[in-house]
Amino acid sequence: MIGMNMEPKRTPLVYALAFAVALCAPLLCTTRALASDDLGKKKADEACAACHGPEGNKPITPETPRLAGQQYDYLVQALTDYRKGARDNAVMSAMAKPLTKKEIGELAGYFSRQQGLTTKR
Amino acid sequence: MHSNHMKKRYGLLAISAAMAFFLSASAWAEGDPARGRARAQMCAGCHGIADYRTAYPEVYPVPRIGGQQAAYIVKTLQDYKTGARKHPTMRGIAATLTDQDMADLASYYAGNARK
Repeated sequence: MIGMNMEPKRTPLVYALAFAVALCAPLLCTTRALASDDLGKKKADEACAACHGPEGNKPITPETPRLAGQQYDYLVQALTDYRKGARDNAVMSAMAKPLTKKEIGELAGYFSRQQGLTTKR
Repeated sequence: MHSNHMKKRYGLLAISAAMAFFLSASAWAEGDPARGRARAQMCAGCHGIADYRTAYPEVYPVPRIGGQQAAYIVKTLQDYKTGARKHPTMRGIAATLTDQDMADLASYYAGNARK
């Protein structure tokens, strides 16, 4: 009788431990991706949102482009071109100049993951 | 007296008709998405393919333009036409476009027709 009482007490603990490990495993795996996305979002909120809107999806003037959903490679190209002067815009050249290659990648990654622009035929 | 009054009325009518014509003409200059769609065939070869990269004359990632701001599209096309923005293919294409063509294309890609 004592043994039978012990069984149901131990089983939930084992399940709880297994559950905790199962919860943590995917968290550990995605930490790097999340951190990178957070950095992109932080920078975007600080530097880009004032003109391009939250998530790059609500520009403040008609001539300011929407960035949400834009292709990753195109965003990298645009920021890199602004930074080295191959593309010229007074505001964007100044914004892009201090960006590192890593920051450009994080920003492009963040904006490309938002819902917005589409490939329209 | 009566005919003078009528003349005034006809004059007013003529002025308002002229104004209506002028206003509709300027409204048309804002861009017609249907005309833009017909013109967009020349764009679809690159912009209609998801994640497309040009191979010639240089490797360049082609942007998504569905849902882009109409005024930004017009400005970009004008910049390509004047050479302020440099891409040989886009410059060649933009050079063939009138202001009206640009407005029509921008209207189509911005998705004004869906509103």
